[in-house]
Amino acid sequence: MNIAWKEIKKNKVRFLILGSIIFLVSFLTFIISGLANGLSQDNAALIKDLPDGQFYMSTAADETYNLSKIESPIQDNMLNEKKDAVALSIQMGFLNDQNGKQQSVAFVASTDSKLFEHVKDGEVILDRSMKEKGIKVGDVLTNNQFSGKWIVKGFADDKKFSHAPVAFVNIENYKDMYRTDAMQLVFVPGEEKAQAAAGLQAFSKKEFLHTIPSYSAEQMSLNMIVWFLVVISGMLFAIFFYMMNVQKIGLYGILKAIGVKTSTLFKMMWTQMLFITVLALSLSVAFSQGFKMISPDGMPFHLTLETTLQLSVIFLVIGFIGATLSGVQIKKVEPLQAIQQGEV
Amino acid sequence: MSVFTIDEVKKTFTNGEVAEEVLKGVNLSLKEGEITALVGASGSGKSTLLTIAAGLQPASDGKIWFEGQNINLMNQEQIRKIRASKFGFIFQFAHLVPFLTVEEQLTLMLDVSETKLKRQEQQREIDNVLKLVEMDHRKNAYPSSLSGGEKQRVAIARAIIHKPKVLFADEPTASLDSKRSKDVMQLIQRLTKTLNITTLLVTHDEEMLAYADRVIKMSDGLVS
Ligand SMILES: Nc1ncnc2c1ncn2[C@@H]1O[C@H](COP(=O)(O)OP(=O)(O)O)[C@@H](O)[C@H]1O
Ligand SMILES: [Mg+2]
Repeated sequence: MNIAWKEIKKNKVRFLILGSIIFLVSFLTFIISGLANGLSQDNAALIKDLPDGQFYMSTAADETYNLSKIESPIQDNMLNEKKDAVALSIQMGFLNDQNGKQQSVAFVASTDSKLFEHVKDGEVILDRSMKEKGIKVGDVLTNNQFSGKWIVKGFADDKKFSHAPVAFVNIENYKDMYRTDAMQLVFVPGEEKAQAAAGLQAFSKKEFLHTIPSYSAEQMSLNMIVWFLVVISGMLFAIFFYMMNVQKIGLYGILKAIGVKTSTLFKMMWTQMLFITVLALSLSVAFSQGFKMISPDGMPFHLTLETTLQLSVIFLVIGFIGATLSGVQIKKVEPLQAIQQGEV
Repeated sequence: MSVFTIDEVKKTFTNGEVAEEVLKGVNLSLKEGEITALVGASGSGKSTLLTIAAGLQPASDGKIWFEGQNINLMNQEQIRKIRASKFGFIFQFAHLVPFLTVEEQLTLMLDVSETKLKRQEQQREIDNVLKLVEMDHRKNAYPSSLSGGEKQRVAIARAIIHKPKVLFADEPTASLDSKRSKDVMQLIQRLTKTLNITTLLVTHDEEMLAYADRVIKMSDGLVS
């Protein structure tokens, strides 16, 4: 006979409350984590969605990409050596639309590569979010530093940098705008460990992300909130299981007196804990994926199933540890205690 | 025939600096099919002796012989096994499992004692015992809906469903009125006789002694 199940059936309300707490806390954690990822995506999707690789910038730039200058001979050398390598530059700036309205963008120019949009002289490809601001294919855009004009050629998905939509422009237009011949960065995809090129400093993708102003600070605070939530929920689980166990001390004592094994009591508690937690977490995963679908477009929300499942496993482990720690009482209960305490 | 022998059992409780010798060398033999009643003033050590005999706490010294083995030398797991399969317990309160029906209380005890029965036999066994304690009409009830006397009858059913060799009853009627007390004692007497159980009964109610085969007086940590 499965007494763990019998107890849940008889005390539905108590277990329902426990389940709702686990559901609410994990759901909140998933949502916050979705927002954290969303913001990080909004901040740097352009870089995050690249394959793993190495970024190079000039050592003199002191880890600030827009101060970096890689001279042409060095750049040519690197591009020749690695056929997938690409030289690129990123500059924050403004586009004036046809109504004279300024739109903040991140200009990106690169040598030919599959990794970045290819645009001809006088053309621009924009992140799709610009479409919502009323810009259409064929619109003519200008910039105060640029002598020519751009015609909008099309839109690309999820190209964001430093919270701004990316505007892909031709490398010659870029050089004209910023009065420079040198590109800022060389990106070499797939290269495991960076070898030291003279005067250049190498960054992994993750390291490069952290050179983006605001990225580190933003991610750190959001991740801290997520981990706080995980820790708090862990403690909440433990406290709840502890209280449920304390209520049952008398029962555990009497069960031990009639000969029930301590391990059976632990199994009973684990079964209940697993049942409630798995149920609550599944609901929570389903709800958070549902929320992803109905969340407003403007809301930076990015939550993969993989992330929720990873967090769920962490919740399960924490719940298990919490329940087991609070279950130490079960081991300590003396049958006599319960008998002498009177009616349970 | 003596199946259970308590031999020079001593028990000392130490509370900080103070040591109190509650049992001072008790000798007692229990006979099969007999109710041995233990009487004495409150605090004379009756419950202590019963719980030691039942393996619920260890003696400080002495031997407790059951089926040729000294329980006082056994480890926790060995004692648990004996409690589960060979002993039955009735206390002042019924101590039923609040979330199990009357029937399930008995199923649990059969599981715990590892009584291997087929489903049908198990059901028959449970029905029989519930008839014996006249609780068959309430077999699907939960403890919260039973009266004190009914709960105690279910507790008795649980104590004997697995056919224990020894039944330990510590003031089983203390929480009942005198009519119910007599019913419960008659029941214990009947079960002891029909199932040939060895029963150790602790009571301080003189009226209940009428149901005992043997009365042992306990005072100041010794029996006479
Ligand atoms: N766990 C314990 N710790 C300390 N003293 C105890 C303990 N159990 C019983 N005693 C003491 O042992 C004495 C006998 O108690 P008990 O066996 O319960 O008596 P009775 O059942 O005859 O009323 C009492 O003085 C009681 O205070
Ligand atoms: Mg007593």
